[in-house]
Amino acid sequence: MSNDTVRIAQLSCGPEYSGVQKEIYTAAEAVGAEVFFPDLSLADIRRNFRDFGLDVRSGDLKLAIARAVALVEGSVEADGVFIASCFRCAEAAIVRNELRRYIHEHSKLPVVSYSFTERTTSGTLLTRMEALTTIARRRALLARERQTGLTMGVDSGSSTTKAVIMQDNGIIGTGWKPTTEVIASADEVIRLALEEAGIKRDDLEAVGTTGYGRFLIGEHINADLVQEELTVNSKGAVFLADCQHGPSTVIDIGGMDNKAISVLDGIPGTFTMGGICAGASGRFLEMTAKRLGIDITELGPLAMKGMGDDVPMNSYCIVFGTQSLVNALAEGHSKEDVAAAACHSVAEQVFEQQLQEIDIKEPVVMVGGTSLIQGLVRAMGNLLQTEIVVPHHSQYIGSVGAALLSSGFVEKN
Amino acid sequence: MIDTIPPLYAGTVTKYVFIESFKATPDDIAARAYEVSGGVMIKETCFGLQVTGPEEEVEKVIAHIREVDPAHIYVKDRGFPPGDPRRCRANLGGARPGYFGHEFEMGFIRRIAAGLEDLEREPSGLPASGDRKQIHEGLDVSRLMEIIEQEA
Amino acid sequence: MARVFIYPATSLILSDLVARFGHKPLGTALSVRERIQTAGLDSPPLQMTPDDAKKGLKWAAVEVPSGVRGRMSLFGPLIDQAEAAVLVSNPDFAFGCMGCARTDELVEYLVRRKDIPVLELNYPLDEEEGILFVRKVRDFLRGLESASPEKAS
Repeated sequence: MSNDTVRIAQLSCGPEYSGVQKEIYTAAEAVGAEVFFPDLSLADIRRNFRDFGLDVRSGDLKLAIARAVALVEGSVEADGVFIASCFRCAEAAIVRNELRRYIHEHSKLPVVSYSFTERTTSGTLLTRMEALTTIARRRALLARERQTGLTMGVDSGSSTTKAVIMQDNGIIGTGWKPTTEVIASADEVIRLALEEAGIKRDDLEAVGTTGYGRFLIGEHINADLVQEELTVNSKGAVFLADCQHGPSTVIDIGGMDNKAISVLDGIPGTFTMGGICAGASGRFLEMTAKRLGIDITELGPLAMKGMGDDVPMNSYCIVFGTQSLVNALAEGHSKEDVAAAACHSVAEQVFEQQLQEIDIKEPVVMVGGTSLIQGLVRAMGNLLQTEIVVPHHSQYIGSVGAALLSSGFVEKN
Repeated sequence: MIDTIPPLYAGTVTKYVFIESFKATPDDIAARAYEVSGGVMIKETCFGLQVTGPEEEVEKVIAHIREVDPAHIYVKDRGFPPGDPRRCRANLGGARPGYFGHEFEMGFIRRIAAGLEDLEREPSGLPASGDRKQIHEGLDVSRLMEIIEQEA
Repeated sequence: MARVFIYPATSLILSDLVARFGHKPLGTALSVRERIQTAGLDSPPLQMTPDDAKKGLKWAAVEVPSGVRGRMSLFGPLIDQAEAAVLVSNPDFAFGCMGCARTDELVEYLVRRKDIPVLELNYPLDEEEGILFVRKVRDFLRGLESASPEKAS
């Protein structure tokens, strides 16, 4: 891995005036990257803007368009692109979306787009910036298609902690626990995975971590690879779904935030992450299961038997969503229909809020714990008009990706 | 770049001086500014000068340099002091946004200069009252002389 | 001497003409300078913080994007203290403070709504228009010295 500074071109309107530009700088600096503004002359701005053909009125959006054209044409060099505009600005949303698509289609530059408010912090941006730098720095590692040696991946998520042990391109041990205390949960799932694999900790040749707790766990277990979940999950998804070549789309509806990643040859091209409320997360489905008096594992099969169309439920907010749930039950709707409606509601929010930000290309792979809820997968498939692929071990996706990628360190060790 | 930067030049003002004159180069104007600069900081740039200091002193310097060619020297306030690392092109990787606005306006500043020269010729000038002014046919004599001197 | 709000608020031409004819141009450089020279702020490049977007609530509601509200915290106080205004309506390529069309629309509206003399112009397309442009600005500014608050055009 090269530690050279990764240069991220910023195309934006508004962050300086929202007081969040410093947060962007801080997030970039934390992952060894540098944000810069592509330099153009006024004549170049005019020409590029005219050539692009999207006739917006705001000057800073014209500038962002002109800079994007310069990046695609190669007159300005960068390792990645960060597109940012104000949340709730329709004009900027159109530009953000079109620039992301344009850069993705006409260059190999990784792109992340984000709509901020004045409350956006560097912590929110960190994983996105880290993913941009990973793609720039670790292209060789991300190109790895086979797992070799004896390796382990640990995924410390907001809801659950998972571990997977792999040997010679196959999974030989798994561990899964709800996340309570971050390190203790990790120790427990590692113990479970080692036990199932029938090996000792010292037998492992390389270890990788991902997820929210990746830094803490990485230090605790002396990991060779500590990497954000956007690139790791993409890799795990295309590996398990056997679509390592060509385009694919990875959707991971998590406990706290969701990831939608447009992947080419196993490497994320554009992606979005989180940014919406709990009504569109796995947490809402957990709440639904609890309210219906069933285990979360029973929610999927139950939803498959129901028809959610008659049950009004489409709130971004987990509180209002739960209210709809209670009302629906009080009105006499069946548990099956309510379960189906909850699945449809989550799928719809993700579709409306996040999937519009990336290009959906088949195959669409759903991963993470929520991919085991069949009702949710069906609802998403209906919205996207496609057959969704849910690979085996999909709930272990981060751990599989980390185990696969960490095998790049086996020879070194 | 994101380190805390203490307030620079607190209590001062900074003004841009743009020079689009065939009578004087930015060097000439800078030399003239130094004649009365006192404690004012003068920074030469590609388009002219940046003058930083207490407001009264800055105004005095500007009045002095404007005399050289009033219709071709333009002044505006700047929020940042010169060389501020937050706005420096080298740190940003690109021009600060305001630069393009200046580039845009300087692209047709000649039209404003023509207006100012016109006022110089007719100091008591007629009110514009929304009508187009009667323009003499052919090239204005002073403009012709300017072109000759520029070509010389 | 009147305080004259200029639009584009970053305009060299308007800033120069207003000062040249003896008045005080109110452009965003003044608002930025105030922040740059305030100790304790640490939010490069403009030393604008999330608080600026909150201050902008005085001029734009909370559902208005943060970039508009933040920009309004630069423009708003200038409009509040303006005794007259010169607006150029075809700025074409203006960036930064002037880079958001929605903010610009709001700024123009707030200026027009305020009971102060306002001169509205277009950038000159040739020297002939340049002569008229300068004269109009000069005459407008001269008129401020004795003017009652009525709108010029």
